[in-house]
Amino acid sequence: MKFMKNLLAVLFVASFLLSACGGNEPAPTAEAPTQTATEAPTQAVEVDPNAPVSGGTVIIGTPQEPGMMNTLLTSSSIEDAVVSLFGEGLVSVNEKGEYVPVLAKELPTVSEDGLVVTWLLKEGVKWSDGSDFTCDDVKFTMEGALSDLSQVSASGYRDIETLECPDPYTVVATFGEIYAPYLRLFAYTVPDTAGALEDMETWEMNRTPVGTGPFILSEWVPGDHLTFTKNPYYREEGKPYLDSVIIKILPSREVGMQLLGTGEIDALWDLTEADFPALKQMEADGVAFVSTVTGENELLSLNFGNNDGSAPADPSTNPHPVLYDLKVREAIQYAIDKQKIVDALLYGNVKAGNSAVPVGTFGCPQPISEFSVEKANALLDDAGWMMGDDGIRAKDGVRMSLKIATTTGNQLREQTEQVLAEMLKTVGIELVIENVPSDVLFASWESDGMRDHGTYDIVMYTTGPSTDPDSHLYSSFHSSEIPTADNEGTGSNFSRYINADVDSWLDEASTITDTARRKELYCKVIEQINKDLPRIYLYERLSIMGHRAEFHGLKISPTFVDFAWDAANWWSSK
Amino acid sequence: MATYFARRILQSIFTLIVISMILYGLISIVPGGFMSAYTERADFTPEDLARIRAKFGLDDPIPVRYVKWLGNMLTGDMGNSFSTKRPVMQEIADRLPNTLLLMGLMMVCTLLVAIPLGILSAVKQYTWFDHVTTTVAFAGQSLPVFWFGLLLIIVFAVTLRGADGKPLLPGSGMYTLGEPFSLADRIKHLILPVSMLTFVSAAEYMRYLRSSMLDVINEDYVRTARAKGLSERLVIYKHALRNAIIPLVTLIALDLPSLFGGALFTETIFAWPGIGRLYFTAALKTDYPLVMAVLMIESALIIASSLLVDFIYALLDPRIRLS
Repeated sequence: MKFMKNLLAVLFVASFLLSACGGNEPAPTAEAPTQTATEAPTQAVEVDPNAPVSGGTVIIGTPQEPGMMNTLLTSSSIEDAVVSLFGEGLVSVNEKGEYVPVLAKELPTVSEDGLVVTWLLKEGVKWSDGSDFTCDDVKFTMEGALSDLSQVSASGYRDIETLECPDPYTVVATFGEIYAPYLRLFAYTVPDTAGALEDMETWEMNRTPVGTGPFILSEWVPGDHLTFTKNPYYREEGKPYLDSVIIKILPSREVGMQLLGTGEIDALWDLTEADFPALKQMEADGVAFVSTVTGENELLSLNFGNNDGSAPADPSTNPHPVLYDLKVREAIQYAIDKQKIVDALLYGNVKAGNSAVPVGTFGCPQPISEFSVEKANALLDDAGWMMGDDGIRAKDGVRMSLKIATTTGNQLREQTEQVLAEMLKTVGIELVIENVPSDVLFASWESDGMRDHGTYDIVMYTTGPSTDPDSHLYSSFHSSEIPTADNEGTGSNFSRYINADVDSWLDEASTITDTARRKELYCKVIEQINKDLPRIYLYERLSIMGHRAEFHGLKISPTFVDFAWDAANWWSSK
Repeated sequence: MATYFARRILQSIFTLIVISMILYGLISIVPGGFMSAYTERADFTPEDLARIRAKFGLDDPIPVRYVKWLGNMLTGDMGNSFSTKRPVMQEIADRLPNTLLLMGLMMVCTLLVAIPLGILSAVKQYTWFDHVTTTVAFAGQSLPVFWFGLLLIIVFAVTLRGADGKPLLPGSGMYTLGEPFSLADRIKHLILPVSMLTFVSAAEYMRYLRSSMLDVINEDYVRTARAKGLSERLVIYKHALRNAIIPLVTLIALDLPSLFGGALFTETIFAWPGIGRLYFTAALKTDYPLVMAVLMIESALIIASSLLVDFIYALLDPRIRLS
């Protein structure tokens, strides 16, 4: 029986690998295994879940390999996450998407005009080489971010006029102009003993890092694993609980899932919503999962401009023959049963999409759009799109046929497209699926990117704000962010959406630091977006990790610190 | 003779340069590229992107970049990896022993399996033994490696358990994490990947040897040997095999570069930290310097080994060098 189950798993994985184009049957439901889940040996009953025990090792599997342990030079999300095992910032972001102080005593005070940010640092914090953590390190980190070799964004750092250290434990940053998401600039630190900035690429700490966090890298075997052991200088008594954390490089998620089932690894990084069936099947083997809402949405971007490649700065000069009409866009949203997509394809584990910024400090959740075939039909009739003999509407000789594109090889997205096509068919809209590889979908302006040049009708992809929604909302919806030949394709307003109110709200929000006022302005933008519908939000994306039930305390942050931000509190009941 | 060698060497160098141009061009025009790690992120402004592009030397037109790269390559500088910043040679040197171990062992096992089976199945042509081995060999050649590898993992590393309830064989890596080195542990980790590689490549060698053996067995001199009253054993192993194995030696010589290049699929599936996997992850990250270095070393080795084969042939057979 067990063998059969695994055999089925192999065939499932194999069929998945063998044909990216192949059969589109829905994923097998996991009903049978859930019954056995109740008979499974009860896990961790003897252990009081609130009483962590010291000692032990956990092995975390990842299909990606970190190449670099210097935050200033990282280029992948696994690097940022692994760095967070030893590296800390003045603040971090918890699993709810909220800023929490780490090396700072508390969140900083901001002057009335929003230009001077003052931090008080925890005293007595030591780097893992024994030296003191002080304001100089914060200053060095900023200089590093601004240096020529840096691979982090200089936005925000560039606006800091002076960063002063009146005493070792006070940091005063004075901005030349207001940078609303200023907290994110202080989310990591690099020791000022690292070396000269012009030698950044050959710093010793790139491979033998120094940090203030709970763990320190003690062994790195390229292509195989990284072993982290307790940092002897860690400031909290008795922590971390674990003796060591091993990051194991795995060939693929599929193999990782098998190893998680056998207990060869204790956690598996970076799962997706498509892994829910497999996770459910392994419940009986002692596998659980944690997830966090990333703040990103799987969404449809609707093109207001003509898709002929003219990339108009103002879509009204060359509008999309179908989608420029608001009634049509409303009808499309009415025709989509988001909850059905969530239930059928995602096992009800996620929330239907409703807002450009669903969670976090600036989160502004909205009611989920209504599903009503009648209203959709009425709107389309009203807009003059009449049902043709073939079941597809037409107006002035134009058939209501739209192309949808997403990344190839993503089964969940392909299934979603098919469900969408069926839903829109019922109101007389034809949806033609034409997917492209992700490099093509996300290509830049210079590489003739289809989103930048507007050579699409509807594209489906995932995007969303990082903790602070400022740059996301601005670049997605401000009219100056429409990619055109004049601005060399700058911006992510791929819908070519123009609304003067939205522009003014976004302009105001990016020049103030008053959180309450900013939130109010962002909410106005979000509500207006849901009225004008340049984007339709399908469902909220999750960050998911599978783990063994004996591994406790794993919590995922929706930002770059990912799973590692609270590693000091991990413990194992193995 | 000297002119023949000189001509072949010059041809090889020219071929290598053309290969490097094609590879460099192909890699450079792949959409996305290294910058895509940054272009997707909202907090990166155009100035940030321009700075990073300049830092990686991606601003120059492709031909200029190629000439610069070739110049560095000729002075022995293969550049630094984009993602680890370490010299490419060092990255390769880290993984090379692992690949040599895996592929060397595979080569030995392959020959141990393929040669006896190839001979036997030719000698016993159309017997049940021949049918079974050729069928299995056929399967070995046709099975997709990535699928077969996953199957082995599921069966031996997941489903089948030893007496202690632990999986029978480890499914990934070179050793058990957290345990000191032991030969037994290393061998356990080698079993699955080496078996799979051996199965696939022994199948090819075996079929090759079988058919060349069959050709030779029907030659006049073999019949003569039998007519002289030599034992069947002597006929097969001394007279027939010596001639039949020559094409196989060519094949082995041409496969030698794979000792360096490793096995991309196998290393990837079994998380073997060798060159094949290094190349695979570098390709995913479009780490150009690393990708180019691995491809160029591999190309150079392939060309060198075919050159070697040519020279040996020329030494053995005067007709080749004169034509």
